[in-house]
Amino acid sequence: MTGRAPKWIIIVVGFVGCLWIVPIIGIVATSLQTTDSIARGWWHFGENTFSLQAWRTVWQTYPLAGSLWVSAKITLAATILTMVTAPAAAYTFHYLRFPLRRLWLIIIINAFVLPQQVVIIPLFQLWRDVGLLDNMGAVIIPFVGLSYAWAVFLVKSFLEDFPKELIEAARIDGCGPIRTFTQVVLPNLISPIAACGILQFLWCWNTLLLPMLFLRSDISLTVLLARIAGTYDPNLDQQAVAAIVTAVIPLCIFLLFQKQFAAGNRVSSGGKE
Amino acid sequence: MSAVDTRLPPPGARAAHRGSPGPAPGRRAWMPESATALLLLTPVILLFGLSVIYPVIETLRISFWEIRGLGRPRFVGFDNYLRLFSDPVFLGTLWTTLIFTVGVTIVAVTIGWTIALLCAFAPRQTSIFRLMIFATFGISEAVAGYIWIGIFRPGDAGLLNGMLSAIGLADLAQPWLGGANSALIALIITAAWSAVGLPLLLSFASVQAIPRSILEAAYMDGAKPLAMMWHIMVPLSLPGARVAIFLTLLSSLRAFDIVFVLTAGGPARATETVGFFMYRESMTQFNLGYGAAATIILLIGVLLVSTPAIAQRTKGAK
Repeated sequence: MTGRAPKWIIIVVGFVGCLWIVPIIGIVATSLQTTDSIARGWWHFGENTFSLQAWRTVWQTYPLAGSLWVSAKITLAATILTMVTAPAAAYTFHYLRFPLRRLWLIIIINAFVLPQQVVIIPLFQLWRDVGLLDNMGAVIIPFVGLSYAWAVFLVKSFLEDFPKELIEAARIDGCGPIRTFTQVVLPNLISPIAACGILQFLWCWNTLLLPMLFLRSDISLTVLLARIAGTYDPNLDQQAVAAIVTAVIPLCIFLLFQKQFAAGNRVSSGGKE
Repeated sequence: MSAVDTRLPPPGARAAHRGSPGPAPGRRAWMPESATALLLLTPVILLFGLSVIYPVIETLRISFWEIRGLGRPRFVGFDNYLRLFSDPVFLGTLWTTLIFTVGVTIVAVTIGWTIALLCAFAPRQTSIFRLMIFATFGISEAVAGYIWIGIFRPGDAGLLNGMLSAIGLADLAQPWLGGANSALIALIITAAWSAVGLPLLLSFASVQAIPRSILEAAYMDGAKPLAMMWHIMVPLSLPGARVAIFLTLLSSLRAFDIVFVLTAGGPARATETVGFFMYRESMTQFNLGYGAAATIILLIGVLLVSTPAIAQRTKGAK
């Protein structure tokens, strides 16, 4: 921007930024204080007593480590499956010719508007009938299936700018479609695939509805959080602990890759050559 | 990366080429192109079919049946839909969904866009604050709900009430999640807090893409920051903001997690959105047909909001 930035702008943005993290400071403070102190209000830092009691209680009473592991397994499986299969689909739609190609493409890329609620009744009945309820597959399958709607679109819009000469050269060199994909296209798709992976990771880790309905004994972190909060006010400190544990990993992933978000936003200008 | 062969292709090769890595010239294709396509697409078709296409068709079918718990399904035609539109709870749900969706979109996009415009004047100095606001993008709606429960607590233990008392507005202090209107306001504030990242990101990218020469010209003519924002940057960053408005509308319309966590539809079903109503009817009351009909209404709402986006994507699908 031209000229020197007026001070008031930095002050306004700074104020909103600080306001925005007050709730986060609040939840951390809540998790570290005694019940009496929380009842007084967590922000009375001078008078309040700090304690690690809530952390100890949650760790001992609830299967926190187990849920962390379940969340990790579900999220990683769903993320890897999306990262492997969506680029292949995007490549196929972009370069190969086959019957009903355009119809399939239109259906898949427009499915991103579908609410999750549309899948739960039929899948609940189906998983019940085939005995897949309480199995991690019951969550991983819809996680991956629903992700194609945006993942295929994301990778395919990256391919719009992929240099045609490379594809042509590979073909002339005698590569079939599959070798062209694995040896020419795939090595250049790192950034859209990474973008798909990050988005899918955040979504799978953070969502509550599907795991809440399809998992019973081995539950993910979001569901555990809902269970701890099942009883109201008295355990606000424990809810805070569970909320922090649930949020910390996606938040780290997000902060680590936030530069790529800004870059990934300009997906279509991403050609490397 | 494979080395690029510089030899000229045999005559005719280029003419036959359609930008597709079909069989190499002078080589017999060991597999027809559509078979290769099928091979590469199999996992996508299977998983997408199972978890998207089948459920959509099945939800539509179930919505014409009465299914209660384990009882025998009975075909009832449009009965579920007729019942929905004479059910005062569902009609209230439609109204709540409308207010929630519009409210969240207005609050989140206004704040995100304004901050993006302001940040454009000092991108470097404000980057840390931008990140503080954007960070909610990485926090799930469920966690956001729990975080804000603590703020809306009744009495002096809630931060909002505490702040109101501190600035002399103690009269406004109330059990926020206990009243029908205040609970909906609380829900909108929480959802907007959690949704503001995307409008900020998209508008900021859009503002940054404005050619420098335009802004420099305005600066030379003595335009003040606010005038520049209003007359030049707002109209020129409209494309990014428009995408942000659409995506925020879409995600608030489908909201479930945040409603479930913060208010569970209460008090007295006053904050139930359509997305929550279908869950309650089908998964806690086991009125599967009735819940499916409500889901179809939600789907119709989503499709109405997305018509321009769907038209655009369909046109661009080459």
